Amino acid sequence: MTKPLAPRRIPPLTPWQWAGVALLCLVGLLYLYPLLWLLDSSFRPAVDIFQFPPILFRDLPAALRGYTLGSFRSAFGHWHVGWAFFVSVIVTGSGIALTLLVTSLCAYAFAYLEFPGRRALFALILGTMMLPMTTMITPFYQVLRSLGLTNNLLGLIVPYSVSAFGVFLLRQYYIKIPRSLMECAKTEGAGHLRIWWSIILPLSRPALAALAIVQFRGIWNDFLFPMIILRSDQLYTLPIRIQVMDSQNFNKPYEAIISAGFITALVPMVFFLLFQRQFIEGLAGGLKE
Amino acid sequence: MPSPAAQPLAGPPRRPWLTQKRTDALSAYALVAPFLALLLVFNLYVFARGLHVSLTDAQGINDGDFIGLQNYKDVLWADPLRTVDFYRAVRTTFLYTLGCLATQVPVAFVLAYVLNTIPLPRIRAVLRGAFFLPVLINTVVIALLFRMFFNKDQGIINHVLGLLHLPSNTDWLLHSEWALPLLVLVSFWQWTGFHMVYFLAQLQTIDPTLYEAARMDGATPWHNLWNITLPLMRPAFTFVMVTSAIGGLQMFDLVFMLFPNATYGPGGVAKTLVAFIYDQGFSQQFLTGVASAAGWITFLIIAAVSAVQLRLLGLGRQGEA
Repeated sequence: MTKPLAPRRIPPLTPWQWAGVALLCLVGLLYLYPLLWLLDSSFRPAVDIFQFPPILFRDLPAALRGYTLGSFRSAFGHWHVGWAFFVSVIVTGSGIALTLLVTSLCAYAFAYLEFPGRRALFALILGTMMLPMTTMITPFYQVLRSLGLTNNLLGLIVPYSVSAFGVFLLRQYYIKIPRSLMECAKTEGAGHLRIWWSIILPLSRPALAALAIVQFRGIWNDFLFPMIILRSDQLYTLPIRIQVMDSQNFNKPYEAIISAGFITALVPMVFFLLFQRQFIEGLAGGLKE
Repeated sequence: MPSPAAQPLAGPPRRPWLTQKRTDALSAYALVAPFLALLLVFNLYVFARGLHVSLTDAQGINDGDFIGLQNYKDVLWADPLRTVDFYRAVRTTFLYTLGCLATQVPVAFVLAYVLNTIPLPRIRAVLRGAFFLPVLINTVVIALLFRMFFNKDQGIINHVLGLLHLPSNTDWLLHSEWALPLLVLVSFWQWTGFHMVYFLAQLQTIDPTLYEAARMDGATPWHNLWNITLPLMRPAFTFVMVTSAIGGLQMFDLVFMLFPNATYGPGGVAKTLVAFIYDQGFSQQFLTGVASAAGWITFLIIAAVSAVQLRLLGLGRQGEA
């Protein structure tokens, strides 16, 4: 929302420009077709899903009457998608919380404190920012096994929190916070933890939100690591649950897969609609600095 | 930091060893310790362990014996069964990555450029959101959606082709020559909006007075694009090309899910490098040593590609670290 100043002066568009804008909007709509299809299909009975043209265009009244929660019933009742959703929420939530905790403490030290080895350590952290961890899935699994963290949600949550990007992003934000605020607190006798908790964290909320969003997208959507780490059924996250449903070769539960996919896709989309600005800023954050 | 002049304190300092400087350094180590410990265990040690395991014939939970560079030899030239598979994975992965860069980057830039010229902020934000949305969706879901769309009899692609009176009974997922184009196409849909956002962010940092001045000098829009916009966009191009190459070279989820039953396309034609590693390490034989060697080779390939790209494109603006 912009402030209600005098109405923004928008140069009048020529008809050609209007046509261009209309064309772009049409392209945007077509671009979203797969998602609109997903939305529509997850509320349809299985028999209506694979029809063309979609029933929505063929027979609107019947299509509207035909909406049903049947596929969700199958997904939740028979395929435990509700439990997988819960596991995904736990993993994503704790992953984000742990990330924010360890990276913000670390960034605090790099932003405000002088210590031997500071530059070298920061360079080391930056250097690990783009390490392709997927190439190391086998040794990663072995390290987790020696720590007893395979088939364990902690084996996902704890490694997720190692975000070198997070340390970088937060430190860049922290160095812009006026030091006078901290000096004040120091003269009042506050220690570093106290300053971190009651001054720096509240002031760096936008950066924390940006980092939380980047992590949210990554953790919620991760597939390869949960697949290699989780063995038992009740620990499956949503993407793994969907993969398991899809691996049924006999009577593949298409409608349950589609509604589970819809739920998996819906969560980040809702967050995006609520926090569009933070999303864009969080992802563009790596570029700005 | 220059330390402030010694303060006139009343009486002798109580703890001469524990100066302010030293306490600060100690607190700093305590603050960075949790993150650094995790980084050490879950990133750096993992790579070291991988290097160690790659020199053994480890299999599953069996640690195996030291066999030198045998696994590397097997993968790169000695074991025909593996080398064929490996080099095909190298080829697939590179073609896929090149296809992604060649399609996504130019279109993303054009989209960003066009969106940036729309003088209606609301519409601009909505369109940006629309193109960005696929970025948020789980690749597993995207792969399954597109698998349904590419279905021979029930997929929308063939239906639309039929409406246009084009050949409409291709079984897209069963033709080996289509495997790579399909992967590139799906990735195009998924990632173009992501790059567009970076381009848009950078476009908006360009000072509009530059264009004003150029207009005074009688520059055409084409000139402006070529002489002002593109040079100033170089950091965004570098960033997008390097990160999407790093991502593309690690592609796994999409190819694993797009083709049914983890077949990686008809006859496995579209098996990528990470899929190769996964197959060696986590399929029937659990060849941990071979998988670790393949992992290190892939890691070195990715590092080399990034280094070459940075060399050619020029380093992006680094933070003042």
